[in-house]
Amino acid sequence: MKYLIRAIVLGIVGYIVGVWLTLAIRGGSPTDEVAVVFGFILALIGWLAGIGGIEAFGRQWIGKTPEVSTARGWQRYFQFTVDHKVIGIQYGVTLLGVLLIGGFSAMIMRIELASPGMSIVDLEEFNKLVSMHGILMVAVAVAGIIGAFGNYIIPIQIGAADMAFPRLNALSYWLVPPVAIGLLSAPLLGSFSAGWTAYAPLSVGGDSGQILFNMAIITFGLSSILGGLNIIVTVITMRAPGMTWGRLPIFTWAGFATALLAFTVTQFFAAALVLITMDRVAGTDFFGPDVGTGILYEHIFWFYSHPAVYIMVLPGFGVILEIATAFSRKPLFAYKAVVGSLLTIVGLSVVVWAHHMFTSGMADFLQAPFMILTEAISIPTGVIFLSIIGTLWQGKLWFRTPLVIAFGWLFNFLIGGITGIFLADVATDIFLHDTYFVVAHFHYTIVGGSIFALLAAFFYWFPKITGRMYNDKLGIIFAVSVTVLFNTTFLPLFWVGINGMNRRVGDYPQAYESANKFASVSALLLGSTFLLFVGNIAWSAVAGPKAGSNPWNARTLEWQVSSPPSHHNFRSQPVIVGPPYDYGVPYVVFPDAEPAPEPDESGKEVLV
Amino acid sequence: MRRSWLPVGLLWLGYTVLLIALTKYVAILPAQWAEEAQVVDEAFILLMYLGSPVMALVLAVMTWGIIGWRSDGADREDGPNQQNNRVLVTTWLVITSALAIGVLINPGFVGLAEIRGEPSSDYVIGIQAAQFFWEITYPNGETALDELVVPAEKRVRYDVSSVDVLHSFWIPAFRVKIDAVPGVPTQVYTTATAEGTSDDDVNLRVQCAELCGAGHAAMAMPVRVVSDAEFNEYIESLGGSE
Amino acid sequence: MTTTKPPSTEYHQDMSFQPRANLIGLWLFIVSETFLFGAFLAARYYSTGTAKPEELNQNLALMLTIVLLASSLSAYMAETSIRFNHRRNFVIYISGTIIMGLIFLGGVGIELKEAIHLYPPGTPYGSSYFMLIGLHAFHVVTGLIALGFVLFLGLKGHYGSDDYWGAEGVIKYWHFVDLAWVIIYPTLYLF
Ligand code: HEA
Ligand code: HEA
Ligand code: CUA
Ligand SMILES: [Cu+2]
Repeated sequence: MKYLIRAIVLGIVGYIVGVWLTLAIRGGSPTDEVAVVFGFILALIGWLAGIGGIEAFGRQWIGKTPEVSTARGWQRYFQFTVDHKVIGIQYGVTLLGVLLIGGFSAMIMRIELASPGMSIVDLEEFNKLVSMHGILMVAVAVAGIIGAFGNYIIPIQIGAADMAFPRLNALSYWLVPPVAIGLLSAPLLGSFSAGWTAYAPLSVGGDSGQILFNMAIITFGLSSILGGLNIIVTVITMRAPGMTWGRLPIFTWAGFATALLAFTVTQFFAAALVLITMDRVAGTDFFGPDVGTGILYEHIFWFYSHPAVYIMVLPGFGVILEIATAFSRKPLFAYKAVVGSLLTIVGLSVVVWAHHMFTSGMADFLQAPFMILTEAISIPTGVIFLSIIGTLWQGKLWFRTPLVIAFGWLFNFLIGGITGIFLADVATDIFLHDTYFVVAHFHYTIVGGSIFALLAAFFYWFPKITGRMYNDKLGIIFAVSVTVLFNTTFLPLFWVGINGMNRRVGDYPQAYESANKFASVSALLLGSTFLLFVGNIAWSAVAGPKAGSNPWNARTLEWQVSSPPSHHNFRSQPVIVGPPYDYGVPYVVFPDAEPAPEPDESGKEVLV
Repeated sequence: MRRSWLPVGLLWLGYTVLLIALTKYVAILPAQWAEEAQVVDEAFILLMYLGSPVMALVLAVMTWGIIGWRSDGADREDGPNQQNNRVLVTTWLVITSALAIGVLINPGFVGLAEIRGEPSSDYVIGIQAAQFFWEITYPNGETALDELVVPAEKRVRYDVSSVDVLHSFWIPAFRVKIDAVPGVPTQVYTTATAEGTSDDDVNLRVQCAELCGAGHAAMAMPVRVVSDAEFNEYIESLGGSE
Repeated sequence: MTTTKPPSTEYHQDMSFQPRANLIGLWLFIVSETFLFGAFLAARYYSTGTAKPEELNQNLALMLTIVLLASSLSAYMAETSIRFNHRRNFVIYISGTIIMGLIFLGGVGIELKEAIHLYPPGTPYGSSYFMLIGLHAFHVVTGLIALGFVLFLGLKGHYGSDDYWGAEGVIKYWHFVDLAWVIIYPTLYLF
């Protein structure tokens, strides 16, 4: 707690100093965007220094040994801790909070959209709500699985004690709260209303909240890049003896592919936002009519943001494949083909960005190549489906909550993917672009593909992380109702879109009312199902039985250690002697899982 | 082994037929008012047909997974150790690639070619977007703000431009859309097929389809399709009234 | 599957992976920075094509390029010195790098002052020019701060022939900053 308070204080001090310095140098008012930019930067530095950066990095710069607290109690969640498991939980809880806020804003949007005309917000406020909802949710989808479960599970799956750069890992996490704070405090400066895409030149004008959006997302980008780098290096250098590339569990592979992607393209979103920031505060003119025009922004933006959708969904593939093997008691079907597809997707996804721009007025000759490449990407994605089907085939399907959610995922993502083909086709996209068809498509892919996988991962690894079981019946009820209500919310939106309703509008013609009303009611019910989710966690905390180390009888390494795993995950160096999923092979013997960890005494640990 | 192929195959067939029938008999698309709309709608329906078997396959496996492969966990026995099946993977790759190439050619390239059409037109109408209204310039130089009047059975080119931020010129009933980009002129062609007004169909409207600020939702105006003669009469009358 | 060695009381993973991890990490970081510069370079070519500015102060820019290259050389010498445990040379070369870096920054300042009249930031060329120079200058500044810490530690007697990763990392980064300029310079001045 001490560190958190220090971080907050230093953050505020940093902000004040930044603003004050700007005013001293160039005058103006404290709400000027330049002042806000410098305030934000210094606040960020202050925050990081306060939370533990001084001890973890600063000491090293002046030649002392860095120190990182390894306190064991609940306090460690509120400070700069290097244990990857703690960081995973920090990510998870933070992003769950962001998800709830984003979901709450969706509820307000749906209430507004239940009928034509404006009822609870005005048009501009509606745009602000959409933008806030979009960017918060995108942040959750980008970092959710990989930040929470990637951090927690990947090192254990490869038999490592921690990440390759534990302090950097902590830094990636501690950059996230300022992002959330920055975005959520944007309304103080008038919020941002240019959508999550922040298309220029619209985002160059408009309220000053946009500047906080820019700074926050640039920070978020930095966090993703560092996090991605860490995962890549970890997987390359820290695999246990015998853990060859061909034996990596598929979730690790998916995380590795995601990291590759995150680390090469995130710069472009940051760059695009830097350009906007410069246009706003430094008098440059990248998006004026006679210079780059908005099309330049669209190119840079989508060069990141298309791959970003795969950053969101690749870890989801990993989770679902992992669950498919464990709950059908069969090896992963076509392992090599899946790995190949993951890497192909990484490669292809950076060359399809302009499918978001078929109507943008970009040069005509670009349409066909981007259509080809976009449709090509459905082939490796199809292999993932093949693998899931092949894994389920004649398996001994054990319908527990994770598998039920995985089934929901399969259905949703298929619809999302196939409607993606409609959008990839220039002829149909010219009609469907910027309609609710697109909105429905990406909710089916992001929510259906990424958030569902996040939920599946949650229910799959919950016993490992907490050491307790949840109520499986309640879990299945939750899984089924979320799937059904999700579909009743977004299926009508396809219809609405095809019939001519465009997105990002608070008001619409009477003709679309009934479908919208239906979607709104479903959305509110969908929101309420999260009570079941919270209820289940509460039940587990109060009455959950002990999970044991391997409740699903799964084979990957994380299930061979105690729940929750001990401080350095393993009691001794694990050695891998076989493939990750040898279900159905006779006479395979398992070593007994390790005993529960003894509590370590708290104290400081000196890092090497 | 054979036991699973049969039920899944039957389910697949059943679902495919069902989905195709749904596509065929449920009118999901709104009314068409232009030749371009026909191209787009054909492409859309074709994609629905091609997507049906894909959708059906996964649905079939899911259904049989719940019915046929369910096991109640009491015996946590393993399933068969099927790790790979080269023939199956290759077949899958070939089929999905063929499907992808198929969609690419038709409706992909075919649609692209048709929707672009040859660059000829009977009339040129200028469309200038601004926050938050459209200014129309008719072939005779007259301008209007409240309503777009289009001649039926004539190929019209719209020269779209913007004075401030991105907008997008979209007539849902014609299915075409092009962004209005400041500094970059853009064009789109339509050939309206029947006469009508926005009272007949909400989709006979120009709707801005790119977020452009507070008035984005309201940046719409009705479209009226009239005969060629009426059209010429109308644009002449614009001059008189001013 | 897994088999385990007999349990020891306190398990710590063997740390021999660390040097390799550091090196890979550094290279990845540099690759990632390259992408960032790439984005801005792409923006420059997109918005102004290959327009070639005539009035920029070519001589000064050439001088600056030479100074920066020399500073990189000096940094390289520093690294070699510490590898052979020549602390004195290490300190001298690092100081040389820092001084040349500062000269470079000063030169860029003059350059910007002149350019601001020719190509104010509101013009197409000016926008790209200031963006790229600014981005690079920012990297020079962070590089200089890092070099400052290295110098400080060197003076305090840290680093030795067996342990100079901190210095090596910063010096590699400085080479990257130099290389970035070698690409930015022709982009802005020559083509
Ligand atoms: C997780 C997120 C995610 C994912 C995975 C995808 C996946 C895909 N998306 Fe989507 N998309 C978004 C999120 C996502 N998308 C978002 C957020 C937007 C809107 C952004 C905004 O404007 O705000 C968007 C918008 C968007 C557009 C632009 C629409 C427009 O604005 O005009 C397009 C156009 O091509 C597109 C296409 C695709 C395609 C082809 C895929 C493919 O990858 C899908 C591949 C999957 C399958 C095809 C199914 C499985 C395959 C088989 C079973 C094999 C057999 C099938 C065939 C061979 C066809 N998407
Ligand atoms: C991870 C990504 C993600 C997720 C999970 C969601 C979830 C939801 N989204 Fe969102 N959405 C986006 C990403 C996402 N969205 C993006 C990127 C955009 C584009 C933005 C733009 O155009 O710029 C968008 C836009 C968007 C629109 C279009 C707005 C417009 O264009 O005008 C709509 C409209 O219906 C919508 C609805 C919903 C709904 C009903 C949910 C539901 O699934 C939410 C369910 C979850 C909860 C509700 C949270 C938990 C529950 C509580 C907090 C309890 C309290 C709630 C009650 C009051 C019951 N979203
Ligand atoms: Cu104009 Cu939206
Ligand atoms: Cu995309």
